[in-house]
Amino acid sequence: MTAVPESPAVLDRFDLDRAWGVHPSVAVRPEPFGALLYHFGTRRLSFLKDPTLLAVVTTLSDHPSARAALAATGADVAQQRRLARALATLASTDMITERTEASS
Amino acid sequence: MTAPTATRLIDHFKLGLDAPICLTWELTYACNLSCVHCLSSSGRRDPRELTTAEAKAVIDELERMQVFYVNIGGGEPTVRSDFWELVDYATAHKVGVKFSTNGVKITPEVAARLAASDYVDVQISLDGATAEVNDHVRGPGSYATAMRAMANLKNAGFTGFKLSVVCTRQNVGQLDEFKAIADTYGAQLRLTRLRPSGRGADVWDELHLLPHQQKELYDWLVAHGEDVLTGDSFFHLAAFGDALPGLNLCGAGRVVCLIDPVGDVYACPFAIHENFLAGSVRDAGGFHGVWRDSALFQELRQPQTGGACRSCQHYDACQGGCMAAKFFTGLPLDGPDPECVQGYGESALAGVVAGSAPKPSLDHSHRTERKPRPVTLTLSRRPPASACDESPLAGFEVIGQPSGSGCASGACGC
Amino acid sequence: MPVETDASTAVTETVEVDLVEEDLLVEDVSIDGMCGVY
Repeated sequence: MTAVPESPAVLDRFDLDRAWGVHPSVAVRPEPFGALLYHFGTRRLSFLKDPTLLAVVTTLSDHPSARAALAATGADVAQQRRLARALATLASTDMITERTEASS
Repeated sequence: MTAPTATRLIDHFKLGLDAPICLTWELTYACNLSCVHCLSSSGRRDPRELTTAEAKAVIDELERMQVFYVNIGGGEPTVRSDFWELVDYATAHKVGVKFSTNGVKITPEVAARLAASDYVDVQISLDGATAEVNDHVRGPGSYATAMRAMANLKNAGFTGFKLSVVCTRQNVGQLDEFKAIADTYGAQLRLTRLRPSGRGADVWDELHLLPHQQKELYDWLVAHGEDVLTGDSFFHLAAFGDALPGLNLCGAGRVVCLIDPVGDVYACPFAIHENFLAGSVRDAGGFHGVWRDSALFQELRQPQTGGACRSCQHYDACQGGCMAAKFFTGLPLDGPDPECVQGYGESALAGVVAGSAPKPSLDHSHRTERKPRPVTLTLSRRPPASACDESPLAGFEVIGQPSGSGCASGACGC
Repeated sequence: MPVETDASTAVTETVEVDLVEEDLLVEDVSIDGMCGVY
């Protein structure tokens, strides 16, 4: 068991041009309203309130960058901004992580 | 595309989900202890316990439903001879496990095995920061057993296990000491609410927190924030001010439930009573059928109106408190919690006829002599006459008795 | 948070998130944060 991190990663720069993916310790459960994500290491539960956000999260690892994954939704700029902010939140709680060369 | 909604997580949860997020599974009513406040009135094994095969079928369902984790308890779950087999089966089938134990079987070898597993968490029960306070409630030697278990876990390198305490009038002055114990062993402290459930009803008057103690506890929890877990058991204290971390919502039948040792499904572990019985995993539709279609759960998933609490300004915060606490103190479910911080519960209790509160449907207590209102508890234990009277030695060869899995296999002939 | 109006870029390279403002699309709670589990 990994301990809960002492403080969450600061919600600062989320790099849209890096490759991202769902953390391997995270289970994704679709729901009518969006999805539930459970991280077995941190024991945190995240609730995604938008089906489009679920689509972005689950397709992150198919794209070379988060930016590309967002663009693929066809959403307008304002919605993409909201989705990007949500991705930053998910990154700060370790629900999504940057893909390294080895894991890509 | 879709504009974001402002709906809170709990607004969705109040209406229920297609599957629980997590749940409590009491594996056995057998226990080597006889804690005075036991919410499941445990002690003696029930001969109708689920077999290993039936238990695995439940795990298969939990996997299909994508239940994230199951909190295995009892009684003392580790006294089941198939305990490890079931834990391994659950984790192999993507269901996380946290098991609650008094520590009796947490040897150094067991601790090492647990430390090596990513998907098994342990919760050690302790109700006093000193042996004097703890053993008064949990029995002689129980403090030492818990300490030994925690030392073994720490030495095996298992950090972050849970130390879970039921807050009582007698231990609420030891909160800092509990935190120190948790810190010493690299554990996370968890404080939970005493409810008048199971044998808890017998000691409720003596042990539940006094109003000023509730406030002290609330202030202490606020000061410690997310460092200390609560199992969301103090949402009734949200009326004091800011809500504590957690959903602040009764999850019974909506996001959580209980599966008991004989496969009965209840709304929650604090409500083991036929009024809160939703069905059985042995029914044709299995656990999934009960979760989805039972009349009780559908009723709980209806929007709640607040009843007598509706006009109180704090209702949004406390939501009328705990269903089980109201039920077992004889209060109506659509009124205040017995420990309502505004004092409405105390007034309501004055109107309850003495002795009229519902009794638990089941009692698996050891057949020791018990005074109705124990102040000092003398525990005397008969030696087990059959495998139904559980002892930690069940499963080992005892001269004159069959070993093995006891009643479920028909081995004991009880 | 600066926003580019260039349609081909859509969003800026980095996203600075206001710590005070709550995320509209993501809510987070501990798995221990649901009542009815012991």
